[in-house]
Amino acid sequence: MSLQQLDTNLFEEIIYDNAEPCLVIFSRKNCHVCKEVLPMLEELKPRYEGKFGFYYVDVEESKNLFERFSLKGVPQILFFNHGMYKGKVAGKVDEDQVEEKIAEVLGA
Amino acid sequence: MMRKPLTNKVLVLGVDGMDPRISRKYLAEGKMPNLQKLINRGAAREDLRLLGAIPTITPPCWTTLATGAYPGTHGITCYWRQSPESLDAVVYNMDSRNCTAEQVWNITAEAGIKTLVWHWPGSSWPPTSQSPNLNVVDGTQPGSVNMGIAQLDWEKIIVATPDIKEVRYAPRVEKPAGVGCIITDLEDTLDIKDEVDDEMMELWWGDKARQGGEIRTYVMDDEDTEVVIGSKVAYDIVNSPLREATGWANAPEGAKEFTILTSGGVMRRPALILKNEAGEYDRVAIYKNKKETEPMLVLKKGEMVTGIIDDVIKNEVTKKGCRSMKILELDPAGNIVRLWISNALDISNDQLWHPKELYKEIVENVGHVPPVSLIGGEDDELVREIFEPSWALYNKWQADCMNYLIKTKGYRAVFSHLHNIDCAGHQLWHLAKTLPEWSHTDEKTYQGFIEKFYLQTDDYIGEFLHLLDEGWTILLVSDHGLIVGENVPPILGEYGGLNTKVMEELGYTVLKKDENGNTLREVDWEKTRAVQIRSNYIYINLKGRDKYGIVDPKDKYELEEQIINDLYNYRDHRTGRRVVGICLRNKDAMLLGTHGPECGDIFFTIEEGHNRLHGDSLSTSEGYFDTSVSPIFVAAGPGIKEGFVTDRIIRQVDVAPTVSALLGIRYPAQCEGAPVYQILTEDI
Repeated sequence: MSLQQLDTNLFEEIIYDNAEPCLVIFSRKNCHVCKEVLPMLEELKPRYEGKFGFYYVDVEESKNLFERFSLKGVPQILFFNHGMYKGKVAGKVDEDQVEEKIAEVLGA
Repeated sequence: MMRKPLTNKVLVLGVDGMDPRISRKYLAEGKMPNLQKLINRGAAREDLRLLGAIPTITPPCWTTLATGAYPGTHGITCYWRQSPESLDAVVYNMDSRNCTAEQVWNITAEAGIKTLVWHWPGSSWPPTSQSPNLNVVDGTQPGSVNMGIAQLDWEKIIVATPDIKEVRYAPRVEKPAGVGCIITDLEDTLDIKDEVDDEMMELWWGDKARQGGEIRTYVMDDEDTEVVIGSKVAYDIVNSPLREATGWANAPEGAKEFTILTSGGVMRRPALILKNEAGEYDRVAIYKNKKETEPMLVLKKGEMVTGIIDDVIKNEVTKKGCRSMKILELDPAGNIVRLWISNALDISNDQLWHPKELYKEIVENVGHVPPVSLIGGEDDELVREIFEPSWALYNKWQADCMNYLIKTKGYRAVFSHLHNIDCAGHQLWHLAKTLPEWSHTDEKTYQGFIEKFYLQTDDYIGEFLHLLDEGWTILLVSDHGLIVGENVPPILGEYGGLNTKVMEELGYTVLKKDENGNTLREVDWEKTRAVQIRSNYIYINLKGRDKYGIVDPKDKYELEEQIINDLYNYRDHRTGRRVVGICLRNKDAMLLGTHGPECGDIFFTIEEGHNRLHGDSLSTSEGYFDTSVSPIFVAAGPGIKEGFVTDRIIRQVDVAPTVSALLGIRYPAQCEGAPVYQILTEDI
């Protein structure tokens, strides 16, 4: 796993305090769809090195975060910039959808 | 037809739920000096009463005040009307297009009198006259201006202590009063649902409701009743560590940081508690993020601040919302901070302002609509610190708005409504008598809150007394009072839905059961002969009229008689007493003005002693702690005798024609009342 895993406190620090543009995938170890989406994000990550952060939350280990964002099921990819929530994509998404959303977040 | 006016300017000052009986108690104690001045300058009955229309429900009564017609005539017979599809469902009814009687403000406007209708919750929206003289603000729900359509978020309590190790967010927590707001302590009671039911305002009064969507609510036991639901406060809880400020661009010396979450948990604002010169923590500074050098706002202990504009995300859309905030607790040593944050009102929403420019003008010259709190109930700290002060703040804003508009816009007729007393009544009046069901509360505390709401209403009245010296005539009116209940009411006559329990016991309503024999919230229409829905209505499940009708029309009369007999013979299981007051067939209910297709096949009331706050009883009912369901009437100013007491029974249907008489305009077309000529200075 090349994506850095976040717990609640790291989430505060990295997403909000550092306020960099980034995405966070909320997933679960035994979720089949997550197993398809995660490798795609791992592939994308190097292309955005230094420009856009890629992070990972295990919802079983960080139930608080899952509850806090009122998420319904996994995987869900949440986007942030300047410490502000910028929307999400859910379920089995492809590379184009994620790139499109990244471009939107960076362009805003 | 025009007649000689007795005054040039009329302000109808409406206060929802204002009860003359308890007002007189506070007057006698010298606690309502402004109401006393209004009475001294004008005319009223000794008992200050208005004989209310029936049902004693907000939209019917305000519509009666506006039209001079009884509910059976104007057609607004409850908050909701029957769904055309099903006897167990209702549809939205606070829509002027459902009103079948003419509103007096249309007559004033069309007679060339510039008229303002401000948040009048009965047949005011949408405007029903094309006259450019008619301006209308909201009126689509009873609460506060824009409440039905502009809410973006929910109220929150933030708790930060050094012992909390990570930020947590729990949406819409319903917790028992007296239990703290630490989420780990509440863990077992938390019910994190997939779908949080956070759209009740919109379901009842929002866009969907106004489009006619069906609302199906079953009142099956005490847990489904309004007083029980309303007194269990629900709000978002945020827990945060409270620790040394780190990573800030500009944190003052000694500041400690904590985290605020809003917008369903997705919006985060860092905050600091700040020390004063004596080294004690006494302020909270909230920042957009830690990189900002200046805070968005600084809160001081004890102050409720409104007009706080911030981004709010709802349904993935970011909008600017207006909030209020207050520090609930801040330990001088910096070991705990508790903060209340109001809901957020969308500041761009001007859809219920006619013309829309009025909204912009109010925001620029008076300020944003302050969100009122809807939490308190059984939590007396929240009532004292948040609920009551938030209304006081709103009252002042509304008074400032009306005074600003009166001063600058040339209005000569103003019809206004304030909801503070009624809103509080629905949350906490029932706690002013300690019944066994709420023995965990103290009636003296809640009696004190009733007094506070009347005192803030007196302040509100005081904001308009200067108009008496500027040629205005003021009519102080209400739709109904609210009683403190002597007993827990039966599951009959609850206005919010289909009342099943008593009708099931009597064998008229049958609910379906699942395979395990558990009762479902679904009527078995094949076995149901009658249902009781909304405040006072019983419908026979009639063949040929109702979709699933089983009662032959030839049996209807006899069935009605049987139901009436059974209701009179029904005894409350707690008290052993009769709970039904009067029962009338639809044709006979014309005596009360509750006739016509929207008033059921049988109209009934709940007997005094078992009735709820208002809505289900006669308007003359009285309750504990000197309360009554009666509305109030006091008039003063040009055209009204000064210091005059009348014996005239003043009915709610008399108010609109009195306005007509005062302004010298014609009477509303369907008016069934008459001017209160005894209090007028001249014969008409």
